Amino acid sequence: MGCVFVALALLTRQTLLLAWGVAGVGAGYAVFLSLRSGTVDSRAPFVAAALFTAAELAFWSVEPVLGRSQAQVVVRRIGVLAAEGFAAALLGALLLVLATGARAGLALEAMGVVAAVATVGIVALLTVKPRS
Amino acid sequence: MSRSATPKLAAYTGLAALGLLAALAARLPELAVVAAPFALVTVLGLILSRRPEIVVQVALDRERALEGEELEVEVRLEADVGTERVDVLLELPQDLPVLEGGNPRLLHLADGQRRELTFRVALGRWGGFRVGRVYLRTEDLFGVFRHETVVDRRLPVKVYPTEEAIRELLRPHETQVFAGNHVSRQKGEGIEFADLRRFASGDRVRHVNWRASARRGELWVNEYHAERNSDVVIVLDSFSEARRGGRSTLDPALRAAATLAARYLRQKDRVGFVTFGGMLNWLLPSTGTTQLYRIVDAMLDTQIVLSYAWKGVDVVPRRTLAPHALVLALTPLLDERAVGALLDLRGRGFDLVVIEVSPLSFLPAAQSDVEVLAQQLWRLQREAVRGRFERAGVPVAIWDEDESTLADALEQVSAYRRVARFARV
Repeated sequence: MGCVFVALALLTRQTLLLAWGVAGVGAGYAVFLSLRSGTVDSRAPFVAAALFTAAELAFWSVEPVLGRSQAQVVVRRIGVLAAEGFAAALLGALLLVLATGARAGLALEAMGVVAAVATVGIVALLTVKPRS
Repeated sequence: MSRSATPKLAAYTGLAALGLLAALAARLPELAVVAAPFALVTVLGLILSRRPEIVVQVALDRERALEGEELEVEVRLEADVGTERVDVLLELPQDLPVLEGGNPRLLHLADGQRRELTFRVALGRWGGFRVGRVYLRTEDLFGVFRHETVVDRRLPVKVYPTEEAIRELLRPHETQVFAGNHVSRQKGEGIEFADLRRFASGDRVRHVNWRASARRGELWVNEYHAERNSDVVIVLDSFSEARRGGRSTLDPALRAAATLAARYLRQKDRVGFVTFGGMLNWLLPSTGTTQLYRIVDAMLDTQIVLSYAWKGVDVVPRRTLAPHALVLALTPLLDERAVGALLDLRGRGFDLVVIEVSPLSFLPAAQSDVEVLAQQLWRLQREAVRGRFERAGVPVAIWDEDESTLADALEQVSAYRRVARFARV
């Protein structure tokens, strides 16, 4: 379903649809995780890197194309994209080690809730904040 | 520079929030891992976002050019605070497309870096333009914030119409008192032989015709036609035009006007210019290169302005229409007011010539019988208008840019005037 949304978004060049598509792919992964039994999925960092890189490429694709890009810009952007993908995998691995290594407790859950609420707050702030 | 968040920022923040909440709700740390890169990019984008400071300068390789030539516009960018990506859009009029390199252009601009962009612009149409308004749109490394600004560094460019090829100019019926290139009917100093007469006291010896004197046994001298200049007034009908796509009847009319003005001025005639239509514009007859520049600059301001006011030649200052001037009217003969004013000029004794810039090639093809009939009726009406001019003794030359040249049109007029002269004799 997520892939269909992404494909539609690429066709219609709509960023909102694209975000829903990426969320759909993530939801698919969540369903997969909830259905499987056993330990933490060790491939999660690679999934994270792949999903993030795909999202970056998709957002690049739906950007309004105004004029011709200079070769230097394209090369730099591809380099940044590769570095971001690598960093995503590295960050994911680090987080996974931390999550599996640390003992679950009230403090850790509280941190998670604060992080989630803060993120939602940022979304709300960005939505309300007028253009300067 | 105005700052705005890109749709990517909202999307990534939403995805990060959704992923983290889902990880908490479902107790799946893998989802937090998946959401982390989106959250990280959002946070880094917010922290590292800077307002770019870019100084823009624009330079043109020239201020005056001919229609059909190329112009190089150089846009210099100097970044005190650079940016990852900057879209540079040079605003250009519709008639001035960029030939190569594209517009806008996307480039990287580091801190303290200088870049020079050259836009090769085709000068497709005559006119006065102002070039140099530059739109900048920057994006940061993570593409979460966008800065936009407009820098106005406009410089004037004058694009003059190209000259039409002409073999011979029309000769005015009457000449003026100053020296020029036209053989006058009056006798005086010149090189064209006019007549013989008896020697009189004060005659120059060099004018003695020795052969005639020997035959008659007394001194006879040659008389010559004086060489004088003439006054030419170019009247441009700007009441209406036929337009299709980027072409208009005004374009060939202006090219013809510029050509005729340049050629007449080159042979020492005094040339005046009148734009007669919704806007009235005039230049008193004068000679020299300065007058040519005045006329061409006045032409660049010419445009068709819709007007319902009925205007006669009375509104044109008297000194503009000099007595005995040759009046060359360039008109598509689409407006009754222009026709009436030109006939009025003829009625006042001016030596009038009408060059009809034909609007026929601007007509869409008739699709039905009714349209065919309508076009036939319209053509007959135009014939009737030409008939009115011919009855008044005014030659009307039809100039269709696609089928003939201005030289052909002038030749039609010359032929008419030769016949008309014989008829008068």
